[in-house]
Amino acid sequence: MTGTDDDIQVSIAVPLYNEEESAPVLHEQLTNVLDGLGLEYEIIFVDDGSADQTFEQLRALTRSESRIRVVRLTQNFGQTAALQAGFSMARAGIIVSMDGDLQNDPKDLSKVIGKLEEGYDAVSGWRRSRKDTFLTRKVPSWCANWMLSRITGVRLHDTGCALKAYRSPIVARLDLYSDMHRFIPILAAHSGARICEIEVNHRHRRHGTSKYGLSRVWKVLLDIATLVMITRFFNRPGHWFGLLSLPFLFSALLAFGGSVWQYLNPVKAAATTTTVPIVLPGATVLLAFAFFHFILMAIVGELVVFLGDRHSSDAVQYRDSESLYWEGLS
Amino acid sequence: MDVSVVIPVVGKVGDLRQLVAEYGEQLEQSGKSREFIFILGPDHYALAPEIKRIQADAGESVSVLSLPAPFHEATALAAGFDRAAGEIILTSASFFQVTRQAISIVLQELEQSEVDLVVARRYPRRGSFLNRMQAQVFHWLVRRLTGTEFHDVTCGFRAMRRSVAESLSLYGDLHRFIPIIARTHGFRVTEVNVEQHIDDRPTKLYGPAVYSRRVLDVLTVFFLVNFTRQPLRFFGLIGLGLLVVGGGITLYLGIYRLLGMGGIADRPLLLLGILLAVLGFQSISIGLLGELIIYTHAREMRTYRIAEEL
Repeated sequence: MTGTDDDIQVSIAVPLYNEEESAPVLHEQLTNVLDGLGLEYEIIFVDDGSADQTFEQLRALTRSESRIRVVRLTQNFGQTAALQAGFSMARAGIIVSMDGDLQNDPKDLSKVIGKLEEGYDAVSGWRRSRKDTFLTRKVPSWCANWMLSRITGVRLHDTGCALKAYRSPIVARLDLYSDMHRFIPILAAHSGARICEIEVNHRHRRHGTSKYGLSRVWKVLLDIATLVMITRFFNRPGHWFGLLSLPFLFSALLAFGGSVWQYLNPVKAAATTTTVPIVLPGATVLLAFAFFHFILMAIVGELVVFLGDRHSSDAVQYRDSESLYWEGLS
Repeated sequence: MDVSVVIPVVGKVGDLRQLVAEYGEQLEQSGKSREFIFILGPDHYALAPEIKRIQADAGESVSVLSLPAPFHEATALAAGFDRAAGEIILTSASFFQVTRQAISIVLQELEQSEVDLVVARRYPRRGSFLNRMQAQVFHWLVRRLTGTEFHDVTCGFRAMRRSVAESLSLYGDLHRFIPIIARTHGFRVTEVNVEQHIDDRPTKLYGPAVYSRRVLDVLTVFFLVNFTRQPLRFFGLIGLGLLVVGGGITLYLGIYRLLGMGGIADRPLLLLGILLAVLGFQSISIGLLGELIIYTHAREMRTYRIAEEL
């Protein structure tokens, strides 16, 4: 997948979706910054099935510039797939991802790459002063990131920031799907990578429109559940579903206790008959059913992981087999 | 070999001799070398000698694949694709669904536009008003649920590049939705209008069993198209909905009880609340299991397809 070319030191992967106005500007800003850094670099633009002139703009750029590589996808596959396409073309030992909408500042590249140089495997940007709407963008992001930090144990303020830098072995090992690109640092940290966060500049959107909205909230919630399962319980899915079953076991026992108590202390409903309410026994049955369901899930989960082709040994392997020691840029 | 014509012999069987002759003639006019592959199930073994004779008479390259068990069309197509040597694979029903001119139209579209699969749309549609209505409703449903724009996705007449046939994994009744599945694999798919053949007249309205199977098929495709790589989005959304309603009911009753407004043990509403909450959790847990399956197979999943590299 990711080949390394000795000459190229940094690969920049930029997914673009309907960014015909931003693309040339971004390219100019990127080359200005990168030329100033004195690095051998390549810029990989991934046109994620744009409907506008994005690809024509990129084609025009390649005519005058050899350090640009452009790949056009057959349709709009989403940012994760586009990034993966970019990553798989990258040849350098350092791979940087960033947004194509000019909200990331290319000037931060030196910071991010420099941080990687200090001995980290992945560096994630943190848009501390974010230039987005407060209620629909910033607040949901804060909540989601706070939850992610708490639950996964990987302290990051801004997983959604597109500006991230990795050593190539990190991304070479990832199989991305759905919206996973956001969580690369978390996944990497869980397989033993040293990750850190660095403040980056965030600019107002100048062209085009944002591709995200508030409707993402429930997706993020579900993604977090997936992430917890994958990072903490992948080796023992039985424990994960077992854990999820516990609340039902306890409430079933509680409801059972309640039913027994009601049975022993029947209420006089009328002068002649006594009745025992059916509701608590019913609740007991339902809750016990849910408990049992999760136990079965635990078993199937073990089966899935056992039969699957990905095992925990894969994740940690690269520490030994592939050199993560980095020679430095100079 | 330019074109492989793959014909599963299933359901209605027309005059195969004429089929080969007309398709062959049309392909000859387009200057294409070709082969015909018929796939037979046990019901139609008797046709094999007859088909072989076509080969001798018509001078076309015709081969017959006899499958050992009754098959779904998807299985037959997959077997045919395995054998096909052509750069372009043309699938056809075992009778004339479209007139032979459709071949040139479809091939031209495939070669001249940047597309990987072309499906024929029989237009204008023959048949009684009711017949056309049910087809229209079905295809409208398919369009809505899968976010595509095909008007006759189930038409058996399609042309595709080899790469499409090789990466489709078909089973069950999914052959009806090949264009949609190809698109989820990242291929470019388009439909062209062609003339419907006089032989392709639906004879009757479908029964309820067929309807319910079609509805299930559409739901399957809906799930496969939208949620294959994110099962928790599907099951989780359902689960969260149930959970919110069930949790709301239970919470209301809990507060009601805690504030001493009365007992809740004899209120069936409690059962409903707990039932919905339990169903919600179950749905979410199934989604999580789905995510586990996807994660363990992420390596084999292709998430994008490249059109062009500069």
